[in-house]
Amino acid sequence: MTGTLKGLLPIAIGIAILFVFQAVGGPSMFGAYQEDALLVIGINIVLGLSLNIVNGFTGQFSIGHAGFMALGAYAGGAITYYGAIKLWGSYPPELPPGTGDLLFVVALVCAGLVAAGAGYLVGLPSLRLRGDYLAIVTLGFAEIIRIIITQTEPVLSKQEVSQHSTLSLFKYLGGKSIFDRIPRVTNFFWVYSVVLIVIVVCYRLKQSTHGRAMLSVRENEIAAEAMGVHTTRFKVRAFVMAAFFAGVAGGLYAMKLGNLDANRFDFQRSFESIVMVVLGGMGSISGVCLAAVLVTYAPYLLRDVGLDQYRMVIYSLSLVVLMVVRPQGLFGMHEAWTVFAGEAGRRRWQSFIGTPKRWYLGVRAYARKVVGT
Amino acid sequence: MSALLEVAPMSLSFGGLKAVCDFSLELAKGELVGLIGPNGAGKTTIFNLLTGVYTPDVGSVTLAGKLLNHPERGLRPFEIAAAGMARTFQNIRLFADLSVLDNVRIATHLRARSTFWGALLKTTAARKEESRQRSHAMELLDIFGLAGRADEVARFLPYGDQRRLEIARALATDPKVLLLDEPAAGMNPQEKIALKGLIQLVRERFGLTVLLIEHDMGLVMDICERIVVIDHGVVIARGKPSEIQVDAKVIEAYLGAAPDAAGEAGAGEAGAGEAATDSGAKA
Amino acid sequence: MSFFFGLLLVGFVQGCLYALIALGYTLVFGILQFINFAHSDVVMLGAWFAWKYAQWMGVSFSVISIGTSLGILGLSVLSCAAVGFTIERLAYRPLRHAPRINILITAIGVSLFLENFTQLPYVFGSRDKAMPQLLDVYAGFDVGGVRVQYFQIITVVFAFALMALLSLLVYRTRLGRAMRAISFDTRTASLMGIPTGRVIAYTFVLGSALAAAAGILTGVAFGSLSQPSSTSWIRFGLKAFICAVVGGIGSIEGAVAGGLLIGITEQLAGGYISSSYADAIVFGVLILVLMVRPSGIFGVTMREKV
Repeated sequence: MTGTLKGLLPIAIGIAILFVFQAVGGPSMFGAYQEDALLVIGINIVLGLSLNIVNGFTGQFSIGHAGFMALGAYAGGAITYYGAIKLWGSYPPELPPGTGDLLFVVALVCAGLVAAGAGYLVGLPSLRLRGDYLAIVTLGFAEIIRIIITQTEPVLSKQEVSQHSTLSLFKYLGGKSIFDRIPRVTNFFWVYSVVLIVIVVCYRLKQSTHGRAMLSVRENEIAAEAMGVHTTRFKVRAFVMAAFFAGVAGGLYAMKLGNLDANRFDFQRSFESIVMVVLGGMGSISGVCLAAVLVTYAPYLLRDVGLDQYRMVIYSLSLVVLMVVRPQGLFGMHEAWTVFAGEAGRRRWQSFIGTPKRWYLGVRAYARKVVGT
Repeated sequence: MSALLEVAPMSLSFGGLKAVCDFSLELAKGELVGLIGPNGAGKTTIFNLLTGVYTPDVGSVTLAGKLLNHPERGLRPFEIAAAGMARTFQNIRLFADLSVLDNVRIATHLRARSTFWGALLKTTAARKEESRQRSHAMELLDIFGLAGRADEVARFLPYGDQRRLEIARALATDPKVLLLDEPAAGMNPQEKIALKGLIQLVRERFGLTVLLIEHDMGLVMDICERIVVIDHGVVIARGKPSEIQVDAKVIEAYLGAAPDAAGEAGAGEAGAGEAATDSGAKA
Repeated sequence: MSFFFGLLLVGFVQGCLYALIALGYTLVFGILQFINFAHSDVVMLGAWFAWKYAQWMGVSFSVISIGTSLGILGLSVLSCAAVGFTIERLAYRPLRHAPRINILITAIGVSLFLENFTQLPYVFGSRDKAMPQLLDVYAGFDVGGVRVQYFQIITVVFAFALMALLSLLVYRTRLGRAMRAISFDTRTASLMGIPTGRVIAYTFVLGSALAAAAGILTGVAFGSLSQPSSTSWIRFGLKAFICAVVGGIGSIEGAVAGGLLIGITEQLAGGYISSSYADAIVFGVLILVLMVRPSGIFGVTMREKV
């Protein structure tokens, strides 16, 4: 029991620090624009890390992550929206401090659970399908989820809510147009508390025998099975976990933005998460975090320097260039601190940045590949 | 004493091709038996049947009274591993991008006593399990002389080390029966001699029963108590190494029918040796 | 009943277009084992190039001569073939031996680039445009209450002619044999002296040309073009990819069968169930087919050798 408490300690301390930081108004010192960017970054870190469990650890090719996020967003949004109306009778819905925060946490957990249920369903085909076939099925599931959400009726106002039973409210999510007026409760404290929990969970998983079992599925499924790893169980587990966290991220997203449009959860958003995983290095937790920061913050930067029009062109080109130049991602499969630790780390750091001569050689090698037959 | 591993006449065909036909085998506890035959004879297919990668068309595999593989109810490979059968692979299948230590530790997972949630909460049980796995894995790596390379990435090990790591990994599952698929392939003579000692050492130390596929006849003849020879999926000879060396059918299978193949024993022995170096070179 | 046949006809025509695009996916996947996400953008480019050339030729929106139509079509197909070739050279070839997920990301990057570059104001612009009528789309005749447009017949004939040409090429020529050899085992093929690089380039050129043709026909049929970065293009390409997967990726017959199956299913689902669920049903069909036959209808299951 004391062991468990000791295990919870880092999370508790982290959350306490974040709480104090929020309470003294720390996040607002970044300014509204940067604070907004920080929230988006945090949510994207959660998304990237969750997908990393499936793609990075277990090596299963999932490209439908936006579907789980959508489920979480709508479930979380609906719970706080209708919950606030039902419990406190406020309209537009607002959450009172204290009990309201409790509802927010409940909404996040439910968002995760709904998505996790879907993750279980999507994980099942992975028992039969491999590689790109699995990828396209996950994409299909995500699209089906999105289309079903799109068909929900407009959200109800306060007067209409009383005429409907609580359960039937889930038919009214505003999919056809927009789900508006969701209480905007997500703040720096909540986002980064979730980020902290997800990082700790992922890291512990990776360091544990269960995480290694997942890695073995990625490395060589046949050998993993022969060494007694219940490969199907770990694949489904990975899907469920990833979906849970993606659902929570969706919930945070819904209650940050205050409105939802189902079409924002299309495959482009799924791709965004994959980009973070691959760019960071499959399975590298710190890499995925850094990639999430880069991928999210780059558009803000480009907007600042007035290149907004070329934002996506630059983004897409750098994606291609990075894949050609650094196919293993930022840190490969390692963590940042092991990559750059010690003497070997210094050498790796040099090869990471390179020298003008290496740049030249790299460009020449690329050119040769392009021109050669 | 009844046999530890019992294979009732087992067959498997792929389409029209009969890969294995009426293969039967009994291994007593502690035995070291060789399974030999020319390339494509069906040896690895037999390993795949024993470990549940394939399901036989007829026949069954029983380990210590537990039915492992059967046309109707075959256990999955990980269940068979848990029942006490471990293997190595002919075409090395390490977890190439993971460390040497991790490769072995993963194989101890099936005996793990900590839960998934425990690992996430980092409970006392989970911590204990981690240190138990680490020390068990290091112990095995020590035996195979790989302890010093525990943190290296498996992909970058020399070939011979990779083969030995495969054996260490298989042992980490805590097996009753160990199936070795060409463990000496690609090793130099010194490494082969060391490997011979290692196989005998781990066999005594862990009370193992070993079934060995190997093309190096010197190694097989030296350490196996019994040998089973198959060709085209059919058992063509069984017996002690000395009997196999002079068996006319074996010599024919390796060298092709010669007019006087069944003639003198001395010529046959030389022939078998030649066949061995021949296929060894191929591997 | 005529409602049913009407849907069937539209579905069949749509299926032919899907099949044309699916062939591009299937050829590339068969040889390189990766989903070329940029393929749907080549479809988009096909239509938009046609629009641009029509503008340059001063084609108004009335019906124009067959010669001009074919000219525009040919130019646009050639341009797309060139684009396909360039993409392969610059983005995919340097990654030939990289892990597949890297190539996938690259493909996504290329796709995003094509969409966002072409919607810049001085390229095609970021607004939907009317497509010049290269043919009179509305002319046609009635058969038992079902309206058949000449354009639909032309589309079907044209699509089947292209598919026949392609299968002749793949099964009857040296290049086709090389393509099949590479899809079977790239390494061995190159050891046997097949210039894999060149054959892969040809594959991209062929696939892109077919995609361009499908894009132009679609644009003409609808009479308007969505802006280059519209997700409707990707969704269109994605459905074509699903056809390839359902039919069995790597198989030409599969692409055609999958195209027709999905095209008709989509129309029937839209007509009898709900048009808003049509896409969901298409994805449902995909999942069902793959659960029953993990390699698609015409696909061959490859088992990893242990």
